Amino acid sequence: MGSLERSGLHGLFAVYKPPGLHWKHLRDTVEFKLLKGLNSKKQYTPKEHIRFLLAPKEGSERGELTLIAKNVPALSEHSLVLGVGRGNKLLTDIYNAHLTKDYTVRGLLGKATDDFSDEGRLIEKTTYDHVTPEKLSRILAVIQGSHQKAMVMYSNLDLKTQEAYEMAVKGLIRPMDKSPMLITGIRCLKFAPPEFLLEIQCMHETQQLLRRVVHEIGLELKSSAVCTQVRRTRDGVFTLEDALLRTQWNIHNIQTSIQKAAPRVEAELEKSQTIALDHPDPVGQSVS
Amino acid sequence: MAMAGTTWRGVCAGVRRARPLLPGQQRSLLPGSAVALLRMRWTAAGKSRSRREAAEAEADAPVYQYVSERARRADRIFTWGFSYTGALGIPSFVQPSADGPAAGRKPRAIQPVPYRLEMDARISSVACGYGFTLLSSQTQDITKVWGMGLNKDSQLGFHRSRKDKSRGYEYVLEPSPVPLPLDRPQETRVLQVACGRAHSLILTDREGVLSMGNNSYGQCGRAVVANEIYSESHQVHRMRDFDGRVVQIVCGQDHSLFLTDKGEVYSCGWGADGQTGLGHYNITSTPTKVGGAIGGVRIVQVATYGDFCLAVSADGDLFGWGNSEYLQLASITEATQVNIPTHLPFSGIGKVKQAACGGTSGAVLNDEGNVFVWGYGILGKGPNLMETALPEMIPPTLFGLSDFNPDVRVSHICCGLSQFAALTNKGELFVWGKNIRGCLGIGRLEDQYFPWRVTMSGQPVQVACGVDHMVSLAKSFI
Repeated sequence: MGSLERSGLHGLFAVYKPPGLHWKHLRDTVEFKLLKGLNSKKQYTPKEHIRFLLAPKEGSERGELTLIAKNVPALSEHSLVLGVGRGNKLLTDIYNAHLTKDYTVRGLLGKATDDFSDEGRLIEKTTYDHVTPEKLSRILAVIQGSHQKAMVMYSNLDLKTQEAYEMAVKGLIRPMDKSPMLITGIRCLKFAPPEFLLEIQCMHETQQLLRRVVHEIGLELKSSAVCTQVRRTRDGVFTLEDALLRTQWNIHNIQTSIQKAAPRVEAELEKSQTIALDHPDPVGQSVS
Repeated sequence: MAMAGTTWRGVCAGVRRARPLLPGQQRSLLPGSAVALLRMRWTAAGKSRSRREAAEAEADAPVYQYVSERARRADRIFTWGFSYTGALGIPSFVQPSADGPAAGRKPRAIQPVPYRLEMDARISSVACGYGFTLLSSQTQDITKVWGMGLNKDSQLGFHRSRKDKSRGYEYVLEPSPVPLPLDRPQETRVLQVACGRAHSLILTDREGVLSMGNNSYGQCGRAVVANEIYSESHQVHRMRDFDGRVVQIVCGQDHSLFLTDKGEVYSCGWGADGQTGLGHYNITSTPTKVGGAIGGVRIVQVATYGDFCLAVSADGDLFGWGNSEYLQLASITEATQVNIPTHLPFSGIGKVKQAACGGTSGAVLNDEGNVFVWGYGILGKGPNLMETALPEMIPPTLFGLSDFNPDVRVSHICCGLSQFAALTNKGELFVWGKNIRGCLGIGRLEDQYFPWRVTMSGQPVQVACGVDHMVSLAKSFI
């Protein structure tokens, strides 16, 4: 533990996970590099410590990825948040803060498959020459509207209170418990039929559900669509710019990254604490 | 989900093999159920035979066309709220039939979410009165207006009863054609309808304004007849005596306002609160030009629903008159009735584009797309704001404005007796206010203290608010 303290390795940092790489392999690689870095400082560090730090808590946060791992890697590239040392507790707090994540999702019009992705079994092919950017943005506005409504419903707030009104004005209402996937924002970045690029801001999502959103957009447009790429660009406070590339997975870069991200993480956690205090517990009584 | 994990490991093992697995082949190390899911997708070794076959099969698959390039968006009508008056136009809610698709269902007093009303005609204007609804189309066919709901004062015209040909219906449960005494029924078009407590107005393009219903206070624009019986009456009165062409009609509770293309306002009906704006508190039974602060001013829109009236001028100024017991005009006078239009010098609301009046409140929309409310009741800024004499802006974030959507603006507002509705430029409908018998359409029966989305299977383009029901005209998404 001593060397860990001195090296200031406590906190959260983001790494870039390229497509095709299983997150477990990535975590093992980062772990190995950290160990190498620490050992090279010629100090005694029991291996078990490191293992404990990169705890399965991170796994549960990223759990949804594993479960659909059979075809995830081909499609997804992510910034993955890992925690080291005391950062693991932070990781739990971040998980409980229920922050939103940003994704760019690429869709392809004209066919529907059984797993909503480009490589599934073909179900149907449809025409798409009637689809225009206006129609697409209309559908996206409706999806966003109904999800924003659901967000307030799942947050279990008593809407007749002044606190609920003030949180709604600030846009801070979001569920602090389990809920189905909720999209806080969705818009079309590029439209070049048959391809289109969406930016989705959501919480409690899985990749399967994101692909399903693309499929449902296709249905609403009276055509069909499949998802060809899902890319996470932001996870809470960590953006793609904070993500460390494979070449940067050494102890020095990880340290700087942790230190850079620490103030943002703290600010976000503070904000979420105040929201959590305003939220009543599921019994319905306000926690004050 | 655990199965997927085992499949994953199976695929991992498969990657290192040169030969891909064709669907249907068994592999001894995998559980049998996982085989069917095996597909060599992200192999490092290029396209496999099965992939090529799949690509060929895909190219051969037929392409379905669900909608052509030039498809028109379908028109839809949604109603919600209290149904026992018949105002929603769905008879099975009130009288479930003994046979047919609705057999055995229980009557539904309240429709808490928008319900589709099927109509063949293209409806262009809708108005909700106190327990009744009028729908109108701009067609040149004989039938231009349909009515449903309460008809005890013949506010929907005369609807002959099928059981007894000499009687008329007191409640009309589904949209029924309203007979209109037009000179040229196959040329005249109906532009707009308006409904009050027990009377209604119909605006035509070349035959003036028609009025039906209760006339105890002259609100139909004709002389009050003592002891007149309004139920089952065939009388429809026509008014053509305006200086200019009437472009907008609105009904208050027991009075009527008419706006001409010259920007002048006429009124008739009950005046005890000064809502006729004619400088007295008596009944007026003929449409009379309104003066006061709007005399000589070019008015572009008038609004009323209870006993309080607002008018918007071409320059974006606001004028009000009528009832002020609920602080509607408290910013300029302590009097509880104002019988002559007065300028409302509100600062900070910008240029007014549209005004709407509730029973105890007022709302304006300015040219920036912001909504301001004042008066008494649930105004839309949380439970703590129950009354204010000066307009307060509703935060635009409540209408969906955010960093993600920075260009959301409110495009239209509408008031019922104690609720508000707003349409945004993104095609969303927001409602707030007292949820009388489910009239907000939000799925709950509780009051709503800030703007809340109403979702329906269509994009709302027009909304009309009544006392305990609402109707919306929408277009399908595609």
